[in-house]
Amino acid sequence: MKPLTDFARQLSVSITFQPDLLFVKKNRYFLAKKDLQNFLQRDFYYAGTYLGKIKKEKFFPSLSFLSILSRKKANKIIVGKKTAWLFVCGRDVFRKGVKSFCGSHKQGDYTLVLNEYEECLGFGRILRNLTDKSARLAVKNILDLGDYLRRET
Amino acid sequence: MSNKEFFINRYAQLGWEFEAVESRKAIRKNIMNIKGKNLEQRFNSMGFHLQRIPFLETGYWIEKSKISIGATTEYLLGFYSIQEAAAQIPATLFTELKGKTILDACAAPGGKTVQLADLMNNTGTVIALDVRRQRLFALSNHLERCRVANTVVYNLDARCISKLGIQFDKILLDVPCSGNFVTDQKWFEKRTLQDIQRNAKLQREILSEATKCVSIDGELVYSTCSLEPEENEINMDWATKNLNLEIEEIECPGQRGLSSVFGIKLDNSLERSRRLWPSETQGFFVCKLRKRAGGH
Repeated sequence: MKPLTDFARQLSVSITFQPDLLFVKKNRYFLAKKDLQNFLQRDFYYAGTYLGKIKKEKFFPSLSFLSILSRKKANKIIVGKKTAWLFVCGRDVFRKGVKSFCGSHKQGDYTLVLNEYEECLGFGRILRNLTDKSARLAVKNILDLGDYLRRET
Repeated sequence: MSNKEFFINRYAQLGWEFEAVESRKAIRKNIMNIKGKNLEQRFNSMGFHLQRIPFLETGYWIEKSKISIGATTEYLLGFYSIQEAAAQIPATLFTELKGKTILDACAAPGGKTVQLADLMNNTGTVIALDVRRQRLFALSNHLERCRVANTVVYNLDARCISKLGIQFDKILLDVPCSGNFVTDQKWFEKRTLQDIQRNAKLQREILSEATKCVSIDGELVYSTCSLEPEENEINMDWATKNLNLEIEEIECPGQRGLSSVFGIKLDNSLERSRRLWPSETQGFFVCKLRKRAGGH
């Protein structure tokens, strides 16, 4: 559970999981409700909600996990329509595309990126303090929804 | 006689005059993910013109779109899936799915698995299998994108379902089949009667194994996108005579299943199944079966 809570903390989210609902398959973490557990055998490939994986001792969150975190109090930026689409296409976020933010605005911190409907599009690292309106780039894209398409090609 | 003429002649014997048909793009809304969202307005703003598919509650044909329907934020958020209209039918034929234990025996790439999860509102359990490991990636990706939380995926041949030791309330058998010419432009060039017979044999093996794993009075929905009776009515006739299954009436578009094929008389109950000749949809066959007491 530690990789998940440690990652969440980097987004200023305090989250706990019931340990008996979490499953690790090789390096991948899944959240499986009680109903599913009766059907979980050792050789399952995928179960419930995929939360992320460990690779070279680093945790890589899934987009589902980011979506769960986005429903809590967290570092978030809300971006405009055009910026949202560019972000989903893998681009970084320009300061002028940021409509609002909450939580940490400090350079180097992680932040979730949400569209105007407050739907989570992914996350990134703050490149310059978000209060600095003279900055051109605001958030470096780390993971976005477009990954669902890119990973299949 | 060319391969194409051979098959067209067979279709004529079954009562259908061949016509070239183009597949229509269709989507299915994932209701569990769009509560409180004004998806219509968002479709309009993207320039999508949708037409409700009359025989489906959540299916729409794409009449016009300025951008690719598979490259929108709404698609990536799992608000809808791209799924051919006829392929949306089988999952809707089950009675009451919520809270049940369902098997999707040949699940990849997962369109029908996601649809089952949606109809179940993420309750109960779906066990999704596929025999080809490389196809599980696309299946898992689809489940994750559409926020499915009630599914367990196994890399397993549908002919070995009993290894799981689970009795299912309902089983979806969208079995591997020979396909049809609407979705495969080279279909007539590459298909032979031997392929069809080989697929029909595999389908019987899957049916036989699935019947062992469905509870008494449990439902199986069998579907193919093949037009060939060996994979459809003839297999269903065999199932009713050998597997303690009976065919149930369904409300569904299409022509009633054939109870006589190439001069062979089949069980009259085959007329409860449906055969969709290509027109507004691709070619498709669907049949709902129920396990009687006293089966294996």
